[in-house]
Amino acid sequence: MPEFDLDSLKKTWQEQPVQKKYDNNEILQMLNRKSRNYVKYIFWISVAEFVFFSVLGIFYFFQGEESTSFIKVLERLGAQKTPEVENNFDNAYLAIKILSLLVTAYFVYKFYQNYRKIKIEENLKGLITKIIKFKKTVNAFILISIVLLVAFTSVFTAFIFYALNSQNIEPKSADLTIVIVGIIVSTILSVLLIWLYYKLVYGIIIRKLDRNLKQLKEIDSQEI
Amino acid sequence: MQLITTHTLASKEKEFAQLIKDNQGLIIKVSRLYTNSLEDEEDLFQEIVLQLWRSYDSFKGNSKISTWMYRVALNTAITLFRKKSKSLPTNELDINHADFIDDDDDKQQQVSLLYTVIKTLPNVERAIVTMYLDDLPYKDIAENLGITEVNARVKMNRLKKTLKEQMEKYA
Repeated sequence: MPEFDLDSLKKTWQEQPVQKKYDNNEILQMLNRKSRNYVKYIFWISVAEFVFFSVLGIFYFFQGEESTSFIKVLERLGAQKTPEVENNFDNAYLAIKILSLLVTAYFVYKFYQNYRKIKIEENLKGLITKIIKFKKTVNAFILISIVLLVAFTSVFTAFIFYALNSQNIEPKSADLTIVIVGIIVSTILSVLLIWLYYKLVYGIIIRKLDRNLKQLKEIDSQEI
Repeated sequence: MQLITTHTLASKEKEFAQLIKDNQGLIIKVSRLYTNSLEDEEDLFQEIVLQLWRSYDSFKGNSKISTWMYRVALNTAITLFRKKSKSLPTNELDINHADFIDDDDDKQQQVSLLYTVIKTLPNVERAIVTMYLDDLPYKDIAENLGITEVNARVKMNRLKKTLKEQMEKYA
């Protein structure tokens, strides 16, 4: 083989025979095919996540279940249910619920807005950045949902202590340990599960996008 | 009114199909360079055509056809496309001379080997070489990728050296 020169190959490269010719009809048929792309995949999975979290939120919104289970925990620890405790708890709980619905509404709007900004005719760097930004909207939503979950658990725990304190009750230490360990373990488990889910669902695509973005940034920061 | 709209759409589709037919070599090259199986190659071709169709309205002569086509094709291949088959590690050179070994033409043989060598490069470098080989000006290469023209030029010069080494190694 003669010595290799890329430029001398340009002509051959440009004129290489096309092995397989698609005719106009075949091309027209392609326009009706279903698209198989990552952005669509992220879009629909995210929609499912929004629906899941929102339905869960709405479901709890119309159900006073927490209030009952809260009272049950209190009774187990030996406290009395007083209207004052119940009222304060209900107010705090309502505030968290309203906040969580507002947060969901805001993120649904941002999510759609960022999705609309993804345009295939953008340059590669811009496209990757927009896809990552779009994905980050979902991430932020999940993160805030976790924060709300932790906030809710904290309010719940704080109220238990508040109720016990206001009634001057010293709970049996075994009972208290069960409640505290239960709260901590279930919170850690939920956060871990959510984290694992995200690694599995978005791991590959986000790694791929990051790798390409890194390559572009490297080219733009190379020494000349 | 409905009739006119349908008619316009039909003629737009026809015009588009002709444009793709005339330039399908470009899409085939990109599909071949970013996939490792024939099935994925065909699927990527179709996905690129679909994405080109979706952005057809935004094109309409704003830039050179090949620049626009490369932009959409590479964006689709690099960021959007979901492959079915597992990708090969990029440092693993899978030289399969079978489909071109009988070719008498020396240059044709080199082009075939060049495909294999380009496929060992990272995605973005692959894109630069592909556009360079098709004579896109550095300005367009840089704009399509979102990097500066100077950096595109410097990178390409370094890539020429890398490709030369690789080609001579595997020739």
